[in-house]
Amino acid sequence: MKRKNLWIHLILFSGLALVILPMVYMVSTSLKPNGALYEYPPRFLPSLSEITVENYKYILGQGKFYINFLNSIFVAFVSVLITAMVSSALGYVMARFEFPGKGFLFSFIVLTMIIPGLTLIIPQYELAVKLRAINSLVGLIPFYVAWTIPYSTFMIKGFVENVPRELDEATYMDGGSVFTVFARVILPLAKPGIASVSIFNFLTSWEEFPWANTVINDNLKRTLPIAISGFFGQHQFTQWGYVFALSVFSLAPILLVFLFCQRFFVEGLTSGSVKG
Amino acid sequence: MRISTKSKWQIALLLLPGLLIFGTFTLYPIIKLFYMSFFEWDFKNALGQSFIGMGNYREVAGDVYFRTAFVNTILYTLITVPGQMVIGFLIALLISQVTKFKVGYRVLYYLPVVTSWVIASLVFKYVFNTEGLLNYFLVNIAHVAGKNVRWLDTRWGGLAVAMLLGIWKGIGWNMVVFLAALQTVSQDLYEAAEVDGAGPVRKLFAVTLPGIRGTILFALVMLTIGGFNVFTSVKMITGGEPAHRTDVVLTWMYYKAFSAGKFGYSAALSFLITLALAVLAVIQFRLMQKKDR
Amino acid sequence: MKAHKKILAILLTTVICLAAMMGCGKSPVQSETDSQSQETARKASSEPAETESKAKEPLEVTINFWHHYSAQSAENETLTKVLIPKFEEENPGIRVNAVSHEWADLHEKLLISAQSGTLPDVARLDSAWVPELWEMGILTSLDEEMSDFDEVSGALLESAMSTARIDGHFYGLALNTNTKILFYNVKALAEAGIDVPETMDEFVTAVKALAGTNGNGQQVWGYNEPALSGWNLCPFIWSMGGSLTDEAQTKGSGFINSPQTVEAIEMFADLYADGAITGWNSGDIPMTDGFGTGRYMMLLEGPWKVAEMKGAYPDFEYATAGMPAGKGGSVSVLGGEDIAMFNSADKDASWKFMKFMTGGYAQEEMAKCGQIPVNKEALESDTAKEADFAPFLEAIAAAKSRPTVSCWSEMDNELSVAVTAVVSGEKTAAQAMDELAEKFDALLAK
Repeated sequence: MKRKNLWIHLILFSGLALVILPMVYMVSTSLKPNGALYEYPPRFLPSLSEITVENYKYILGQGKFYINFLNSIFVAFVSVLITAMVSSALGYVMARFEFPGKGFLFSFIVLTMIIPGLTLIIPQYELAVKLRAINSLVGLIPFYVAWTIPYSTFMIKGFVENVPRELDEATYMDGGSVFTVFARVILPLAKPGIASVSIFNFLTSWEEFPWANTVINDNLKRTLPIAISGFFGQHQFTQWGYVFALSVFSLAPILLVFLFCQRFFVEGLTSGSVKG
Repeated sequence: MRISTKSKWQIALLLLPGLLIFGTFTLYPIIKLFYMSFFEWDFKNALGQSFIGMGNYREVAGDVYFRTAFVNTILYTLITVPGQMVIGFLIALLISQVTKFKVGYRVLYYLPVVTSWVIASLVFKYVFNTEGLLNYFLVNIAHVAGKNVRWLDTRWGGLAVAMLLGIWKGIGWNMVVFLAALQTVSQDLYEAAEVDGAGPVRKLFAVTLPGIRGTILFALVMLTIGGFNVFTSVKMITGGEPAHRTDVVLTWMYYKAFSAGKFGYSAALSFLITLALAVLAVIQFRLMQKKDR
Repeated sequence: MKAHKKILAILLTTVICLAAMMGCGKSPVQSETDSQSQETARKASSEPAETESKAKEPLEVTINFWHHYSAQSAENETLTKVLIPKFEEENPGIRVNAVSHEWADLHEKLLISAQSGTLPDVARLDSAWVPELWEMGILTSLDEEMSDFDEVSGALLESAMSTARIDGHFYGLALNTNTKILFYNVKALAEAGIDVPETMDEFVTAVKALAGTNGNGQQVWGYNEPALSGWNLCPFIWSMGGSLTDEAQTKGSGFINSPQTVEAIEMFADLYADGAITGWNSGDIPMTDGFGTGRYMMLLEGPWKVAEMKGAYPDFEYATAGMPAGKGGSVSVLGGEDIAMFNSADKDASWKFMKFMTGGYAQEEMAKCGQIPVNKEALESDTAKEADFAPFLEAIAAAKSRPTVSCWSEMDNELSVAVTAVVSGEKTAAQAMDELAEKFDALLAK
């Protein structure tokens, strides 16, 4: 038994090494001087004397990257909050009440999960023009919310169904209304589920690239993924050191949140899938 | 349960914001997309949109670049979906066998999932550069290649890198999903199988896989959608080069819309992709249900 | 539920930490254009307080200026730290919001914005785009709308101004001009005992001789070409006596598939097949890095490369020469940018900014970063003489423009697709060019 476990650990560990390798290489490259990027022989890790923080100094010395960073945080945070509220309400009503057209509505919402987000980019662009949401950070939010609503509603409906109906009944007995049940029973009890869906949504908005890249123009309104991609194509040479330093800078907070809340990442995924 | 008028109002109020946002930003664009797909809708004659019936659809059907992009997308899906499912499942199976470091493995294998597509694509582009580390390793250290492999420069090479990235980034998600599913398979069934003298392989096929059929279906549908959604990685790694040969449907659609200005064409293309996916999803559900019985 | 609070707490802490970081990051922020204009705005808004007794200040306007000076370049530094502050100082009440896009992105963004009515006021345009944007009816006809147009345009080079002229009207001001000449690795040529190639035949021989492997066993190439578009191929096609279209720019048949053009494409494909040239593949070393690290021995590049090399590889020894001459002479491709305003612009403020950018001061400052002035006065200045634009100016005299038609972007795309098929060995040059000729004909007929 012991020996078998050792083998399993060995396999898992080597697999892990392969999976983590690109990330390590990213960090190691960000610590090399920019000029050494086409060095010979190429090295996986920088030699000790070579290690430098010049790339980070450059990135952190550019005020605009902080702004890009805050833009990403702002957009992701507000989108997540709105989605959480809106989808909880939808999920609650769908789980608890019958109304005409409910079946159709729910299937339709679930069906839109199938549509690749980007296929709607043309009419959504037209819409953004009409709503004057072009080149506007706030303008990104309703689109992100709309994208995350179907999945969130689908998941939250499941969480609400796990809340015992008896609690609803008890609240109604005490003279509570539909709102009170929502606020006092459903929200508190479905909170962990809503939180895990929200973390997932946060990631979606945080890393979203094509839409923001199409709609946002000003340098200072750009979100981080666009700022990173902005290093390319210019001048026919790429400062990989800067690119990776900025990548590490933008990845760090996500990794921190992830490490602390990894349980929720997992729950957000699995509660929907296992019931299947 | 009877619902009072007051409750009805409250229910309506709870539904309202969600339906409003969904209606405006998802439903309206879907209808508009369908509408636009019948018009010649170009940058250059922004005002003179003219109805051309199925013209855009005919153009899509006859377009060689679209055909290439479509084949590329199908291949991408056919390879990455089973790829990440099998690897993710095997890792989940292994993790479920051990007691130590469970959380550690789970967290670290999940890291690529939380890495953004833009960043992951750049790392892969850098590693697979013709003058990059990987080629140096293959040629000068492992001596398995005679000269630098042009990973990013050909249709199949560029696609392979995008596929590898897709698998790399998807393993963690599958691992977590399957890990949770494995825990739901009843221990009794394994014991019963053991009594019948089943070995590990038989147990896998007779107990484990049927026990998590629901999850497999869920993953299959989600990942197929994900496969058709591939965009950022291809756009960042090859940008469709050389000569649109590594384009996938969404990068080609984006190119036609925003570089060539053919909005009508792209709308028709988008609509076809959506339709194809819906049909695919329905077929997948049917197939799995058939096996159920 | 406790855990839920924990998440919220962590998220909030992250946000707060970031906000705190922002606080620390204030001083570097000032290096940015937008914050600079904000600063100017602050200054401007404090002014009325002092001059309250005077007549009301005119309302402040912000003009949006889109350009494709690379975000990390010396040109962008000069623009945001020298030129715009100077302009805002001279023109109180006008703020400039400069937005940097990558070259291809700028083209896309302009087309998209035209569709959606969100165009900037002013943009720096690759002169090859002018016909296309003109056809969309979004460019302002300057000679008709600006009373002092003649005076302004008179100070600029006539040849450069011609890139902005369509149907007898001017839709922009020339901003800078350029062309490509040969850059070569001095040491590599000397070691190989090769003279600087002056003819096309010598060029082909030199490229082949310079290719091979270096001391580390790494492959080196005789020549680099970073893409396969018109900008890249035209110098070879023209110098070898070929052409893209007829003089009237109405058809491609007989020109893009003429024996001379086909020969130029074949030469390219043969050199690539021999492993003597490369550069346009996604996995290739970027041009500047490859040249600076001795992997590409020769390039055709513009004047900006001088400043770029000084920044990235200051110790690298290189020299320049003219485009090698073939049957068609030594013909390079005429580049250059125009500055234009859109119909939706704030025309007074925009015109002031355009005049500023084409004026002596701005042109001289930009000359320091390798932008060849089009302002005659700046061209005669010591700065311009020091920058040694002579070889480029000489080449410009013989250089030709890419087709000035509104469908050029589409033709350009078809050209790269066709040549890609040739260099990858899927089609013969003759076959691919015949097919391309048909496509050109169809595009030009529209």
